[in-house]
Amino acid sequence: MKPLVPTAEMTLGPFFPREFAAGANDLAAGAQGEPIEITGRVVQADGRALDNVVLEIWQADAQGRFDNPAFCGWGRAATDSAGMYLFRTVRPGASRGRAPHINFLILYSGLMRQLQSVMFFDHTTDPVLDAIATGRERLVAKKEGASRYRFDIRLRGEGETPFFDD
Amino acid sequence: MAYVVVRRDARTQSEGVVEGYAQTAQRWPAQPLARRAHGLAELTGPRLSSRLKTTGADLAGHGARRALGQLIDLRVSIVDEDGAPVPGAMVEIWHCNAAGKYIHPGDSNDAPEDANFYGAARLLADAAGRVELRTVKPGAYPVPDTDGWWRPPHIHFSVWGRVWLSRLVTQMFFPGEPLNERDPILNAVRDPQARGRCIARFVPAAGNALVYEYDLVVRGRNAAAELP
Repeated sequence: MKPLVPTAEMTLGPFFPREFAAGANDLAAGAQGEPIEITGRVVQADGRALDNVVLEIWQADAQGRFDNPAFCGWGRAATDSAGMYLFRTVRPGASRGRAPHINFLILYSGLMRQLQSVMFFDHTTDPVLDAIATGRERLVAKKEGASRYRFDIRLRGEGETPFFDD
Repeated sequence: MAYVVVRRDARTQSEGVVEGYAQTAQRWPAQPLARRAHGLAELTGPRLSSRLKTTGADLAGHGARRALGQLIDLRVSIVDEDGAPVPGAMVEIWHCNAAGKYIHPGDSNDAPEDANFYGAARLLADAAGRVELRTVKPGAYPVPDTDGWWRPPHIHFSVWGRVWLSRLVTQMFFPGEPLNERDPILNAVRDPQARGRCIARFVPAAGNALVYEYDLVVRGRNAAAELP
């Protein structure tokens, strides 16, 4: 049988329900591992900070496992009027062949479909990080204190965040 | 590895900067998107039933009386690229009321709210990969700061499949709507057949609601099917 064509993705639009966007940005509650905060600003080409951008993450647990029934490695946050988001989670461990990292998915009005990016903790060797020709340093979060990481996202323009197509 | 995800075909998807939709020129990356190999991090995915609360499946019965508008029953199937159902898929659905007004505080459209309508639901697909929603047909509405762009009646979907790369966010349209022909979002899907699959099927049926069927095809096939 010929495979079915995946349904066309379309923009999230400006009216994603607020109650869906809120309340899912804390993955650390009850989880084992080193608690961390990840925060950052999302901006567009002209530098304007974007309100109500929806970001989702998917990560391994502290041991690098993606199938830990006691740790759901998924979370969702929305940016505030200053373009800032915040996740509370635990630092993921290295998984098979991969450096510790967190997958990011970005949904927004004016984005015709999801964008995918990846946050790393260190300047390191990793098959996904090594797939980036220019701007790979923008995928490495800046450490801001003992347990706080900064990962800014520029959708377009000077200093643009590298994104992936799958 | 249990699953494979085949790369997007740009003709059957929408992306990039779209004429008539000004914000896309500020937001879609200017650099080409990078390709990566897929491993565990991409080909596993969250189990959300313990993480996200589901809601009721009747948006037209939110208040003391039935919501204003044309009552509809929406029957949605979530399948993978092999046509196999995706049981337990989490589905978020949102849309405006019959007058074209969202429950969202950011909606500046000067159209009436309807206290008997609540345009947001989160449902879990059953063992056959299906969700059913009773609601009213959404209205069309004008897009602010544009030269006469009206969104056709549409319903938003956010769906999780089996793996991280299955994630699908899209919009469903209604058959026979003249605004479908001019909508920059629907028509950003260049392949006419792929575009046509974004339009629900009307199903004649007895009862007091119009019935529409819709299929959502999410990525993430079982790799076993690829073996000779």
